[in-house]
Amino acid sequence: MKRNPTRTEIETIAQTWSEHCKHKTFNSPVELSLIKNGKRKIIRFKNLFKETIVYATEKLNKKYCLSVFKDNAGIIEFDKNYGLCFKVETHNHPSAIEPYGGAETGVGGVIRDILGVGLGAKPILNTDNFCFAYPNKKYNLKKSFLTPHKIVNGVVEGVRDYGNKVGIPTVCGSVSFDDCYFYNPLVYVGCVGIIPKDCIEKKVEPGSFVFVIGGLTGKDGIGGATFSSADITEDTSSSHVQIGNAIVEKKVIDVILEARDEKLYTAITDCGAGGFSSAVGELAKDCGVCVNLEKVLLKDKEIKPWQIWLSESQERMVLVVPPKNIDRLIEICKKNDCNYYIIGEFTNDGKLTVKYNNYTVCDIDMEFLHKGIIKIKRKAIYKYPSMKNSFKKIKKSDIYDRFKSVISDLNVASKRWIIEQYDHEVIGQSVLKPFCSKNQSVPTDACVIWPSQCIGDFNLEKGFAVSHGINPRIAKISPYDMAFYCIDEAVRNIICVGADIKRAAMLDNFCSANPNKKTIMGEFVMAALGARDLAIKYSIPFISGKDSFYNQTRIGRKEYSIPTTLLISMIAPIENVRKIITSDFKSENNPIYVIGRFLKGLGGSIYSYIFEKRNNFITSIDVSQNLKVYERVKKAMDLGYIISAHDVSDGGFVCAISEMSFGGIGFNVKIDDIVKKYNVSDIEVLFGECGSKIIVEVDKNFQKDFENLFKGIPFVKIGYTIKDRIVFNDIFDVSIEEVRDLWELKGLKH
Amino acid sequence: MGIKRPKALILRASGTNCDLETKNAFDIVGFHSEIVHINEFISRKKSILDYDAIAIPGGFSYGDDISAGKIFAIRIKSLKEDFKKFIEDKRPLIGICNGFQVLVKTGFLPEDPSYRQRATLYLNDCGHFVCKWVKMRINKKSKCIWTQKIDCDFYLPVAHGEGKFIAPKNILDYISKNNMDAIKYIENPNGSINDIAGITNEYGNVLGLMPHPERAFFGILKPGFYDKKYYIGYEFFRNARDYLRF
Repeated sequence: MKRNPTRTEIETIAQTWSEHCKHKTFNSPVELSLIKNGKRKIIRFKNLFKETIVYATEKLNKKYCLSVFKDNAGIIEFDKNYGLCFKVETHNHPSAIEPYGGAETGVGGVIRDILGVGLGAKPILNTDNFCFAYPNKKYNLKKSFLTPHKIVNGVVEGVRDYGNKVGIPTVCGSVSFDDCYFYNPLVYVGCVGIIPKDCIEKKVEPGSFVFVIGGLTGKDGIGGATFSSADITEDTSSSHVQIGNAIVEKKVIDVILEARDEKLYTAITDCGAGGFSSAVGELAKDCGVCVNLEKVLLKDKEIKPWQIWLSESQERMVLVVPPKNIDRLIEICKKNDCNYYIIGEFTNDGKLTVKYNNYTVCDIDMEFLHKGIIKIKRKAIYKYPSMKNSFKKIKKSDIYDRFKSVISDLNVASKRWIIEQYDHEVIGQSVLKPFCSKNQSVPTDACVIWPSQCIGDFNLEKGFAVSHGINPRIAKISPYDMAFYCIDEAVRNIICVGADIKRAAMLDNFCSANPNKKTIMGEFVMAALGARDLAIKYSIPFISGKDSFYNQTRIGRKEYSIPTTLLISMIAPIENVRKIITSDFKSENNPIYVIGRFLKGLGGSIYSYIFEKRNNFITSIDVSQNLKVYERVKKAMDLGYIISAHDVSDGGFVCAISEMSFGGIGFNVKIDDIVKKYNVSDIEVLFGECGSKIIVEVDKNFQKDFENLFKGIPFVKIGYTIKDRIVFNDIFDVSIEEVRDLWELKGLKH
Repeated sequence: MGIKRPKALILRASGTNCDLETKNAFDIVGFHSEIVHINEFISRKKSILDYDAIAIPGGFSYGDDISAGKIFAIRIKSLKEDFKKFIEDKRPLIGICNGFQVLVKTGFLPEDPSYRQRATLYLNDCGHFVCKWVKMRINKKSKCIWTQKIDCDFYLPVAHGEGKFIAPKNILDYISKNNMDAIKYIENPNGSINDIAGITNEYGNVLGLMPHPERAFFGILKPGFYDKKYYIGYEFFRNARDYLRF
């Protein structure tokens, strides 16, 4: 090019090549130095993403994966006519400085991702996962930053107001509290959609119109994509954050689904980061496009052409519409009170041409825009941690007091104060909601959706489950193990409700700090390797994911970084939703078992966070047998042996089994056999979070059959269900109500 | 009347979001139902009088700006004459959640001859949106056609931020004296006066309620499971069909 680029061109390239849109860090070549016992080993990657996450998926090559890594979301098969799309996004940077708006637009954005998959999926389920600092704790805080309390409330209200108004149930998620998210909270928002299988392919033909529906365009959120890839400092302005309007989004959904079923457009995408520049640029990648910016409907007249082109105003979707369908589409928009504007035409000249009142403001070759990106070679260092498993022995009589602290820690305690603010019932399809049992007091491991309303088949037996795994505390100790723990937890969650892991798929969402620092890049690489290795061992592919770097805050000279945090979101079909298993104990006098090995170490547990801050000892999950164990659990469920199941996670065994009793059926158990069998201490049994454990209640009539089925698999019979009480033999004996009140944080105000 | 396959209208506006499950509920009990945007009636392309029953479903019509259901109510009032005729014809009309808020704000419930608003649904006592299944019961003396033959206590999900029914004393007296308080909470989730969950009109063909019968239509959706195919929500819709058939 023999001229200087225009502002619009520079900005277009900056947005298209930004970390947020291209994930250039994850896709870059990396050299990792691995240091173990003073020895150094070098591992080189040509493209980290392709050699970890994509590698696992390609190696597994599952037939039920219909679309992976290429569209707005991954798609797996649901049944012979429908596919399920799943996407999880992060909205961390906006939520740190403007929690309500940040969370709201995060939800709006991920819903539009689902609307923009293939020819548009119907969004039917929202998920949300947060990492915050403790809102009930005093921190030494710089004045210009929001307190965790304000961030928590703002984010929850944002997700609530947007999700509820747009009419999509928020049924599953998680909230983790840890001091390391003090300056940089993490906000993951996800959406699942259902799509007819014949609507998966997009087609863009020259001569079709660039048809925009939904919100007007203004100056809000200009440069959001580039901002998301930078430090937060005291001077960061909240004008980078967009403003959401759920009702406009609802109109957009109504229009799209009606127009899709009439086949009025041939391709669609959302206007996310980078605004029109990314959306239109992406659609026209293989042909070319000519856009006239003066045709854009504006909400702000004082706006420059490049700002129109880049604006991230919310609730806009771009449709590719053949000329013959324009009139009908306009009719549908009008009926739904939805704004629309035609801003250009697709061409076949391979160029991105943008004009404003006939004056050309941008003229770039598509080839250069999409393939010209320069890759930076990155260096990474990872040193294996030295771990210590020291903890004080405590008297049996003191255990109950410690248990009280652990079960009312916000990580373990009931999330009712958040969950009940979300509409988890809309659409009338939520079979398993955040709480189960008749009194809605027992937390569930995964949500189960029965999409009969959307499919219109009320004899439908099939459904699907969604679960999560996240572990900030292990993230701080060993990122490789964290990935194992996250995937394993998501798998156990989904197994516990009776879903089919042979047809499961998962999403990886990494959050990390500054990748220019070798140690941080080292953490990130280790987490990605862990994710790859366990995905292959468990035979569960990744179908979509996202990474968010630069989650760090600079205050003067000090930089506060988050540990590399991985969220695993898992989706799996269920053959018969009437046969799912829930986590509440069902009736008295049934035997209770723990399946899976108890492992040494209190590292990463809530107990050690409160009482043994220096204990960082974790034992890696023994995965060699796990897959077999999980398949056996599923079989025992199908045969009717197992009638309730719950996985052990935050708070350890003692908290997990207590949760199962909150529906009203208690238990009487002793832990001596576990201590003996696995050679672990009583504190590790009760509060340790290492290992893959599932607690099950077995129908007393099938006790023998159950034990026969589990021959050769580690399990211990620990006791039986009783009326009204929580009894740990020799340790404590209390009423269910007392423990439930602690867990429900009764008497505490938020 | 004896209509074999009655026609139901699911009246939606921008922001309505329970239209699909409400339509399905009507269809399963034997209606032929259609989801139609209010714009089609205001532009006179269609008439509400062509339907045998109307449902105003839940959601956040027009974002619940000003107050919940207010804008939708104002738009409905431009069809006041048609609605008046529809109600006087004793055809079944139900407003669920946002639909109830709309019926109250149009002055259709509690019934007022000149359609003045006589009550309101105010912000929940807890100050925010609440979603959970709560226990409630039918006022058996009520003439409401939607709630006939339902006798045991049951659970329905509520999901609203503005669901606390309040009204002046004379209106509350009028409601209770005529047994128009068709559904009452046993576990009151929002601070509603006299535990009112839903009210009907004098004849009983119009019902407005905060809880969602369409979300409690299938047994499988009830927490703790209910092993029959249909749960209590089914009976509301079946009652409307039976009323029109016989």
